Amino acid sequence: MGEGATALRGQLRTMVGEHIPADFLGAFTEDPADLEIAQRFCGLLADRGLLCLAWPEEFGGRSASVWEQTVVREEMWAHHEPRGGQYMGINWVGPAIMRHGTPEQQRRHLPPITRGEVIWCQGFSEPDAGSDLASLRTAARPVEADVQPDGEGGTARQAGDGGWLVSGQKIWTSYATMAQWCFLLARTSRGARKQQGLTIFLVPMSRAGIEVRPIRCMIGPHHLNEVFLDEVRVGPADVLGTVDDGWKVVQEVLAFERVGIARYARCERLLQAAPSALGDRWDDLPAELRGRWAGMLVHCRRARLLAYRVLALQSQGRVSPVDTAAYRIAVTKLDQDSAEVLMEMAGLARLAGAGGRRFSRAVQDHWRYAQASTVASGSIEMQRILLARALLAAS
Amino acid sequence: MNIELSREATEYGRQARRALEAAGGDRLVQLAEEEPERREKVVAPVLAGLGAWELNPCGDAGELEAAAALCRSAGYWALPYPVAERLSRPAGLDADGLLVVAAPAPSAPVADLDLRWVAVTVSGERSRAVTLPQTSPPRHSAFVAELELSPVDGDGAADAALGLVLPCWTLLGMLDRAIDLTRAHVTVRTQFGQPLAAFQGVQFQLTDAEVERSGVEMLARYALWSLLASPADALADALALRLAALEAAQTVFRVAHQLHGATGFCDETFLSWLSRYSQPLRRLPLGLSATREQLGRQLGRRGLTGLFSEAR
Repeated sequence: MGEGATALRGQLRTMVGEHIPADFLGAFTEDPADLEIAQRFCGLLADRGLLCLAWPEEFGGRSASVWEQTVVREEMWAHHEPRGGQYMGINWVGPAIMRHGTPEQQRRHLPPITRGEVIWCQGFSEPDAGSDLASLRTAARPVEADVQPDGEGGTARQAGDGGWLVSGQKIWTSYATMAQWCFLLARTSRGARKQQGLTIFLVPMSRAGIEVRPIRCMIGPHHLNEVFLDEVRVGPADVLGTVDDGWKVVQEVLAFERVGIARYARCERLLQAAPSALGDRWDDLPAELRGRWAGMLVHCRRARLLAYRVLALQSQGRVSPVDTAAYRIAVTKLDQDSAEVLMEMAGLARLAGAGGRRFSRAVQDHWRYAQASTVASGSIEMQRILLARALLAAS
Repeated sequence: MNIELSREATEYGRQARRALEAAGGDRLVQLAEEEPERREKVVAPVLAGLGAWELNPCGDAGELEAAAALCRSAGYWALPYPVAERLSRPAGLDADGLLVVAAPAPSAPVADLDLRWVAVTVSGERSRAVTLPQTSPPRHSAFVAELELSPVDGDGAADAALGLVLPCWTLLGMLDRAIDLTRAHVTVRTQFGQPLAAFQGVQFQLTDAEVERSGVEMLARYALWSLLASPADALADALALRLAALEAAQTVFRVAHQLHGATGFCDETFLSWLSRYSQPLRRLPLGLSATREQLGRQLGRRGLTGLFSEAR
């Protein structure tokens, strides 16, 4: 990984140790103080130039290497993502705006992301469009020429372009209750293929016609929401990229997330913490469970090495669908398998003092979150389809 | 950490695979089963021609990688010869090869070979080993012979690590082949008017197998690096690799058999041979449960070296 990456890891651990409480389980809990902790931490990262490390220098980043970016992903996820909802803006909204945004959009949106001041949500999934995203129904209907868009986003209206009225429903929208902006995908026309005629809009969540309804769920508050759009006005200045060509942007967005969350890092941190959290109780565990614990540590290493292979190829400008899909399948299964092993230890850990109880709460949080890992960010079935396609094409 | 194999080692492995194919390929194990005494005569010269016995895996990273690549190629053809065991021969003891063994019934797939063996346990106890006469034909024994041991010393911890890692590379070659065979089969075999590969249930099984195989490949490279760069961790890393390799073998061979259907049990299909001759590697010196238990003992409370092994 190099000395720079190692030093960065040390710096991040020091910052986490100094500014994140030991019992922090993420920004999105019942306790609003956790969100404040995350917001403060983002500010600290931004002050030290660590929040948008991967971004090019011209947009306020440090052009960090693939390996430095990996260290950030590992350390943040391992410590329950103290960047809160910021990672979405940092990881893919910002990069998408850099590539496809107008200078005005870049001026407006990128600086607040680099300062950690804004939360974005992703308006992609719909009740009938999950893995089959291109089947979405949210429609942007062109507005008659005499109807003015409301001007949000500094609209500079062109002759003959009256903007659109967007209506539809989004679902599973993380952070929609607190987000200031939405990266919204809607249908602007019908093409020969369903991937055609889709457009990305950058829409403020405060705009008239947007209603957010939280969905109570086992993962915790703020994670899942419904977003209803009722004739929400959007103008040409809200369009990211080209009208009707949004699918290209979506594919790029998904490519930014190619390696995705470094789930193996949290799994390993919790597994490695188990013996000291259990103290003398460790020896009371069944030998078979300790064997499974050892096996899960092997699976953590396996997932990490699979990720590193994808990253090594990426750093050479190469993309391997087989390796990428294999990694994502391995890491999401690891998340769930390790959660089962840890949950078997959590009961005993509760008897092992304050540290044990803290460990037990972290394990329960991990188990709840892990249930979604084979569904979120592209289901495991989609990864299997991609892997099978690549494998069979190679034969 | 280095998880890339050198270009030279990769190329050496490729050449070895071609040379073994030219020497008989799939037929080699079939010939050996018919006439066990011929395997030394048929296989050993090909390996000598590849410079196998000049390799010094103990001392040089490049030669260690070449040895691993050779083992992988041998596994691809289910080569009926203890290549990994011979390449693991310990320095300082006059022997042709090394066998990792476990009580109470030390044994290894080295029957009918006139070679001098040193045996080592996972805890590093070394012995001279002599094969006992065979009581069953190779079709049932897969060349596994019981061993009679005469203790030498307790200095074999490093030997044990190498002796565990290289056979995992052989097993990796077998997994490569099992997936190649299965992929080819589901592409050509037609049912209900379409290739088996068109069925999602078939595709998903194949992906499960490939995820396991590719994971073993990464851990195998890591364990190789660890042997020379991180000797204190080498034994734990070798056991970690073995555990993953045994788990993967279970999945890969199960999927391969299932997707081949009845034809996979027939000797005219190479899967039948590959599957049977993978057994000694998967059961000796320690099977899946015993390997997991041994790894757990080895790690204790320390865990496996990784991102958070120092932060406990």
